Amino acid sequence: MSQQLYACLHAAEFPSQALLRLRPDLQSLPVAVLQGRAPIEQVCSMNPLARLQGAATGMTRLEGEALASQNGGLHLLPRSLESEAAARAVLLECVANFSPRIEEASSETACAFVLDITGTERLFGPPRALAERLRNALKSSCFRASIAVSANFHAARMLAVSSRGITVITAGEEATALANLPVALLEMPDDHAETLAIWGIRTLGELAALPEVDLIARLGQSASGWRNLALAAHAHTFQPIEAAFSLREFCEFETPVEQMDSLLFVGARMIDSLALRAATRAMSLATVAVDLALEGKRVHQLTIRPALPTVDRKFLLKLLQLEIAANPPPAAVLSLTLTAEAGQSNKVQLGLFAPQMPEPSRLDVTIARLKAIAGEDRVGSPVLEDTHRAGSFRMSAFNAQNLAEEDKEAPPRMALRRLRPPLAVRVALNAGQPALFHDGRQSYKIATSFGPWRSSGCWWSVDGWDSDEWDVLAESQGTRVACLLVMDRSKHEWRLEAFYD
Amino acid sequence: MSARSATALRLEIEHALERSFPAALTPEQRTIRETASTGIAEVDALLDGGLPVGAISEINGPESSGRTTLVLSFLAQRTASGQVCAWVDADDAFDPESAAANGVNLRQLLWVRCRKAGGLVQSKQAAKPWTQLDQALRATDLLLQAGGFAAIVLDLGDTAAEHARRIPLATWFRFRQAADRARTSLVVLAQTGSAQTSPAHGSNAQSSAAVALGCAAMSPVVAGGTVLRGFRFEVRNERQRFTPFAPGRKKPPASVWPAACAWDVAELSDDDAAFECARVLEMENSA
Repeated sequence: MSQQLYACLHAAEFPSQALLRLRPDLQSLPVAVLQGRAPIEQVCSMNPLARLQGAATGMTRLEGEALASQNGGLHLLPRSLESEAAARAVLLECVANFSPRIEEASSETACAFVLDITGTERLFGPPRALAERLRNALKSSCFRASIAVSANFHAARMLAVSSRGITVITAGEEATALANLPVALLEMPDDHAETLAIWGIRTLGELAALPEVDLIARLGQSASGWRNLALAAHAHTFQPIEAAFSLREFCEFETPVEQMDSLLFVGARMIDSLALRAATRAMSLATVAVDLALEGKRVHQLTIRPALPTVDRKFLLKLLQLEIAANPPPAAVLSLTLTAEAGQSNKVQLGLFAPQMPEPSRLDVTIARLKAIAGEDRVGSPVLEDTHRAGSFRMSAFNAQNLAEEDKEAPPRMALRRLRPPLAVRVALNAGQPALFHDGRQSYKIATSFGPWRSSGCWWSVDGWDSDEWDVLAESQGTRVACLLVMDRSKHEWRLEAFYD
Repeated sequence: MSARSATALRLEIEHALERSFPAALTPEQRTIRETASTGIAEVDALLDGGLPVGAISEINGPESSGRTTLVLSFLAQRTASGQVCAWVDADDAFDPESAAANGVNLRQLLWVRCRKAGGLVQSKQAAKPWTQLDQALRATDLLLQAGGFAAIVLDLGDTAAEHARRIPLATWFRFRQAADRARTSLVVLAQTGSAQTSPAHGSNAQSSAAVALGCAAMSPVVAGGTVLRGFRFEVRNERQRFTPFAPGRKKPPASVWPAACAWDVAELSDDDAAFECARVLEMENSA
């Protein structure tokens, strides 16, 4: 069996990284993250630019604001645990591409995972090559992390915390590599740390040089474990975690957002991330649920359903834009959550002799644009209702399908042109038959009328109907028309329902 | 032998005149434009096969002139062959029951119902909402750009002719280009304007329409004096570009075709129509 090998990645300042990951507009600015209750919030995390400007962990909001007023440009953001959870899921999914055995080693403001990379040389090359690929993968997901590779679990973990970039320790040299690291990495109780400080022991190398028996006699049995950690000789039972596959992205805004452009700016990054994650598993996005948390604790929900599962980011972003334009949120947005359902990638068999059909993805965008113009429920395919009520139909989603039918010779039938809503008319009767009607603008003299054709139904419900229909041939100002007049028997009203055409 | 010498002679003359008149004695080759049947034999005969593919066809007429029936019959033919069509309804007048009765496969029909002004969507100039005509033109533009539709009907049948005639020529030109590129038959269903507002036989699509048909109602067909069985319509060819060259054949300027009501199970024959027409005329005279 080959020697165990571990790679640890340590994403420091994770609260700020989680917030800035989807906000490219803030990535080039100094940002500090505050946590705690107002007004005694304290800085818990910051990006390197903020640290350069003098921000430090533990600063109060007042100090941060004073620093911002001095230097200008320091942005103070509240900590978002939900953003961190979403970012952690993305990070975990990213590292899961390199090893199925992962153990979490996160701390308060850092997210760390240790990967068991034993036996991955044939897949990813030597440990340094794997570490570089891992770092590039993290970079593409907008994470900064230090990576350490070692044969010892704890050595890799401690080196990743205390170093930057990539560190690879060859087997047998772990103790040397750890020698200069501070004792604080051992996370021992304060009284023991104080004792070691009094003794002048500040590095792991100095701790490892102490005689084990004397150390245990003075600090207790746990001192043996710390010494073994310093010597990189501490055994560890690996406890792998299972990375659940869920395509979810979350972003919380520091101030309520009203502009759609700002939403789409963040939404584009979220869709990018979702599409990339789905694509790494050879899958596509079938649906994307958009939850907009609004002011007043309301939630505005939208759903993007492409005709076929896709990972085309521009296309999905266009659908998102059109969906938001068609259903704008009624209030300012506090946070944006995208939850996608994965689907199998599209496979279409094309044919040389197949009739021309609209391209599905392009048709989706076109229909979304049409809905933005005409209205959500006014674009689609009509479906006739199973009822005798005249003119009843419902709209259904349009799916371009090749549904070739056998050649059937259907003779032309006179079509109706409906008036929606029907036009109320005044009708003059002659011997029980309509002789004249007036539609509010002009009078029509009825030359011939056919009817009445009585129709009724649904008398047991509120939307029942009971009407007499008349086909009339009328004339007005030299124009002859054939139209459908209806007398609503329940209301005793005449309506002009349609014209024959 | 004589034919061979004629060919040689022609080639010799053409060669001599090559610099001044290229191919002087060879008739110019004509492109055969693809057409799609309307499903009505009389109209197909009038149009030499049907409405053109990849071009604009305009069907004008007043109310009750059979223009909608003619277009639905055309769509029925297109959807029966497995193709998808679109109906851009400027006035929300489309009747799905009539379409189904004419044989249109509704699942392959995209219906865009433009809404009355005052909706949520507003133009970039804000304040002023899009009119139904604006919506219809934008929707048609989008559908033509999307491609893949065998036929798109721009239904301006209830839009006043004076409004429809204000559509800029550039719009029709763009539609013609897009229809040609997408191999889509764009059918414009329009209203005939009054004599004061529009010239006789004028076309809304102006010079961009490859075919312009004028529709008119002839007479109703009545069964037993109590039931309206159908109508006889007249369709007149007002404009047709790219007419195939057919020496010695004179096309009729107009055709008459019958259409039965949706509930009439029997097909309306011309003899029935003529007989019943006489009856209804008698009824009208007596009234």
